[in-house]
Amino acid sequence: MKTSTLDASKVFYPLLERGWFCVEDIVVRSVARIIVPFIQLYGFYVIFHGHLSPGGGFAGGAIVASSMILYGLSFNLEAGSRKLRHDVSTVLESGGALWYLLIGLFGILVGGQYLTNLGAGFYRGVPGQLFSSGMIFLLSMGIGAKVASTMITLFYSLSGGEDSGGNH
Amino acid sequence: MSNHIPVLIIVLVLGASFSIPLVARWRKTLIFPAAVTPLAISFGLSLYLFYLVGQQGAFSYHLGEWEPPWGIELYVDYLGAYMIMVLSSISLPVLVFASRDIHHDIREEVVSWYYTLYLLLIGSMMGIALTNDLFNLFVFVEISAIAACGIISIKEDRKCIEASFKYLILSALGSGCVLLAVAMIYMITGYLNFDYVAATMTEALSLYPYNILIALSLLIVGFGVKSALFPLHVWLPDAHSSAPSPSSAVLSGLVIKIYAVALVKMLFRVFPTAIYEVVPVLDIVLFLSVLAVVFGSIFAMVQDDIKRMLAYSSIAQIGYVFMGIGLFGDRALVGGLLHIFNHAMMKAMLFLAAGMIIYATGIRRIKDLKGIGVRMPLTMAAFTIGAFAMVGIPGTSGFISKWFLALGALDLGRPFYVAIILLSSLLNGIYYFPIVVNAFFGSKIEPHPEHKDVPASMLIPILLLAAGVIFFGFFPGPLLDLLEQAISF
Amino acid sequence: METIENLINNYYYFVAMVLFVIGFHTMLTHSNLIKKVIGMNIMDTSIFLFFVAIGYVHDGRAPIFLNGVEDHAYVHPLPSALILTGIVVAVSVTAYALSLIVKLYEHYGTVDADEIALIRSREDS
Repeated sequence: MKTSTLDASKVFYPLLERGWFCVEDIVVRSVARIIVPFIQLYGFYVIFHGHLSPGGGFAGGAIVASSMILYGLSFNLEAGSRKLRHDVSTVLESGGALWYLLIGLFGILVGGQYLTNLGAGFYRGVPGQLFSSGMIFLLSMGIGAKVASTMITLFYSLSGGEDSGGNH
Repeated sequence: MSNHIPVLIIVLVLGASFSIPLVARWRKTLIFPAAVTPLAISFGLSLYLFYLVGQQGAFSYHLGEWEPPWGIELYVDYLGAYMIMVLSSISLPVLVFASRDIHHDIREEVVSWYYTLYLLLIGSMMGIALTNDLFNLFVFVEISAIAACGIISIKEDRKCIEASFKYLILSALGSGCVLLAVAMIYMITGYLNFDYVAATMTEALSLYPYNILIALSLLIVGFGVKSALFPLHVWLPDAHSSAPSPSSAVLSGLVIKIYAVALVKMLFRVFPTAIYEVVPVLDIVLFLSVLAVVFGSIFAMVQDDIKRMLAYSSIAQIGYVFMGIGLFGDRALVGGLLHIFNHAMMKAMLFLAAGMIIYATGIRRIKDLKGIGVRMPLTMAAFTIGAFAMVGIPGTSGFISKWFLALGALDLGRPFYVAIILLSSLLNGIYYFPIVVNAFFGSKIEPHPEHKDVPASMLIPILLLAAGVIFFGFFPGPLLDLLEQAISF
Repeated sequence: METIENLINNYYYFVAMVLFVIGFHTMLTHSNLIKKVIGMNIMDTSIFLFFVAIGYVHDGRAPIFLNGVEDHAYVHPLPSALILTGIVVAVSVTAYALSLIVKLYEHYGTVDADEIALIRSREDS
């Protein structure tokens, strides 16, 4: 990753030794500033349309995370790692998984088995529309939140960002 | 409501595991009650599960109201209920011990993550015990692999991280082999549910013999790596000896066993038993288990560090379980499965006692343990009971499982294995008894100002497990009846 | 030459097995820890390729209804859904292994397994 205007050995290697680097390039920064919201929008599209088109929670969550990783790589790794604070990411991760488990419990409360979809009274709708297929829509949101938060946390802790601890 | 118990046990433990980071953000003193309560409730539910299975026979639970070939099924029979009971009953005292012990091993900020990983491990192992679906089994196997490596590497010591990395790589190898076996089975039968696969397997056997052979061998290699069968055991000594003591107790006591149980479920429920007369798969397992039993003890004899010796002893003892599987007689299999519970109790207690010694005095080398029995009498008494149970002295539970293994070997007309069991018991004695003798009759350890007192919350789990060892040595009846019904696949 | 004909017809499975063995061998023999992780990824990818290739139906399409055209050969969606889960599992294991390698590098200063064993044996003796 050579910088365009500065000498690599004077700027890049000392920064790399301190475990912190950013690409000091005006083109990358401008393009990233424009593109990051679109990547996030696409990621949310993939998450919400999990029951209609390929993708779902995992792929959409990874796309949303990649937008934050692009932000961190092209601007400043420390500023990027502060975008998703530790307590927010903890709530998103644990909340996503607990959301999944609690939605499954609905089926038991209504009288069917665990993780019952239409039998538990989730809204069926017309197949092919956005608000259809009962609980798959809700589960994708939980999975998407969890995967996105996990990927962002993993990237920032592996690259020596704000707090480099833990192996969740 | 009663039918939902199987899935509720797993959901309870997994839900508790996910909610502990939230509880830790809210109030730190509530972490331990929030972790112990679901395990205690699941222990109660597991006993109720026995009652249910006794009443209505084995039953299955369909997730999401989808019938079996399309949906995931949980099948609760005696073997599943037995493993749930083993998991919840052993993990509870170890967690109580861990609440006091881990504070000196790991940093303060990550203590809540230890509970999360611990509960995730126990929850995923419960999933392995109950599931009836091939791919669901694989997913739970992977979750438990990551969680098991997590509770080793959470102590950020050089040796722990290296041991955990070695365990992770070898475990990923095993998981890859298991997934390829699942792919092979799916390829020829088109189903992922155990019962449906078993129904179509008999006709697939004549059409595609090679696929089934490959699947069988990959399963044995894959689950053998993860449960430390003899030549594939190389990750175990480092991993179990450098981990924090409660992690070692759970790893040696429960994790390696659940993969053996998963192998039992796959070998005897998925594949037709007629195949074992043609392909000598079980003989290979038997041969490797004999090597494990003998060489595990021989390696343990030359060890210097007490936890490393206990880890090598685990390799030998898991050999007994595989010997029970390999002999494939009724009483041998009962002996092998009973040894799962007995060894879990004994080895957890031994690791907790070793952890107590390290906590109180910081001594890890066997040579330096002279006279420690005078300072810590109850701990060393529990260690002595554990040593007696490992050797198989009548009156302890270890004797019952070895007795049934020997009876099973005699049933099949193979007295060689009785000789192996006796030889290995003798070898077990060679490295356990010097510790016990030295502890009580050696010279006294000088009281050092850094030595800590023995806290009650760490002593009570050890004594509870020791009482369990003696109790099940005198009254093994209910367990034996249960297991005799569990093996009727 | 029936075996050669079978191999050429089922080249997906053959390539998947070759990749599996390459990944397996890399995981076990190369001493660089990052190469072991890469080997694990190659091995997992080969199994996913094998699984997805099993589900393929000749001349099949994705199982989505298009404008009322309903009778056409559809590829079985189950293996693809299983592999999605498998990929996520492989990613988690890779992420965890890489974070362990970062810690090991901090402690030992090298990512070579043989050198780490040498340093360990020197400090143990």
